[in-house]
Amino acid sequence: MARKRSRIDIIADMLSSILDKGGEIKPTHLMYKSNLAHNQMKTYLEELIEKNCVRKITKNNHEYLIITNDGSRLLEKIREMKEFERTFGL
Amino acid sequence: MIQLVYNPHWFYGKDIIIDIVSIFVLFLIAFFSIKFYKLNKRNKNYLFLALSFIFIGCSFIFKIITNFTIYYHVLETRRIGFMTFTYNAVNSSHILFFVGFLIYRLLMLFGLYMLYSIYLKQQKSNIFLISYLIIISTYFSSSTYYLFHITSLFFLVIITYRYLKNYKKNRDSTTKLLAYSFGMITLSQVVFVFVAINTFLYVIAELIQLASYISLLITFIMVLRHGKKKK
Repeated sequence: MARKRSRIDIIADMLSSILDKGGEIKPTHLMYKSNLAHNQMKTYLEELIEKNCVRKITKNNHEYLIITNDGSRLLEKIREMKEFERTFGL
Repeated sequence: MIQLVYNPHWFYGKDIIIDIVSIFVLFLIAFFSIKFYKLNKRNKNYLFLALSFIFIGCSFIFKIITNFTIYYHVLETRRIGFMTFTYNAVNSSHILFFVGFLIYRLLMLFGLYMLYSIYLKQQKSNIFLISYLIIISTYFSSSTYYLFHITSLFFLVIITYRYLKNYKKNRDSTTKLLAYSFGMITLSQVVFVFVAINTFLYVIAELIQLASYISLLITFIMVLRHGKKKK
C-alpha cells in the first residue's frame, strides 16, 4: 500500500505539476494532477500564494496559476532534500 | 613514559590538514541537513544527522588543538636541546593531551552513537546505558586508545552495513558511494587500532581517512546535483 503523502510531498507535487505544464496551469487541472480534494488544494494553494511561490493570473477570462522564481527555488530545494533523505536513508 | 604521539616526525602537522578537510566536509553536510530539517520539521532524522556530524566535526577540532600543542612542544625541545628542559615541556603538555583527547573521544563516540541511533531506534533507557558505557570506557579504562578505536569501529561497522543495505535497496551511484565512504572510514579505524605496531600505520590510517572524507564530499555534491536534475 502506498504511504500517505506528507505536507512537503504534496507541495512538491503541486509545484511539479505547474512546472510540467510549462509554468502555468488551470486550478482544476492542478487539482487532478496533484491528486487533491478541492478543500485540500485550497489550503495548500493559499499557503503557496502567501509565500509567493505561486501567483494567480487571468488570461482570456480564465484563471491560471503560475509558478514564481521562489516557487521554482523551493521545488529545487525539496528535490535536493528528497535525494539527501533517500541517499542517507533518513 | 606514556607515548603521546604515534605518527612519524615527518608526518607532524600533515594529519592536521587531513582533519581540517574532514571537519569541512562534516560541517558542510551538517549545514545542509539543518537547512533540510527547516523545510521538513516532521522528519527529526535530519536534525540528528546534523548533530552527529557536528559532534564528530568538533571532536576533530579538539584533536587538532591537542595535536598542535604536542607537536609544538616536541619541536621546541629539539631546537633547544637541553635534556631537563625537554622533560618539563612534555610533562606540561600531558594534561592538555589528556583533557583534549578525552573530549575528542567523547564527542566522536557520542557523534557516532547518534548516527547509529538514526538507523537502530533506541529506547530512552538504552540511551542512558550506552552513554554511561561510553563515558566510563573513555575515562576509566587503562587501554583507552584501543577501546576508543574498537568502540568507534563497532558503531561504524553497523552504520556502514545500514548504508550497504540502503544501496542494495536503491541501487544507484550516490548510495553506493556513501556506503564506500563509510566503509573507508571503518577501514581507517581498523588501521588506527594497530598503529602501536608501526608508526607508518598511522600515516596509512590518516590517508584512508582523507580518501573517505573526499569520497563523502563527492557523494554529497552528487546528491545535490541529482536533486537539481530530477524532474
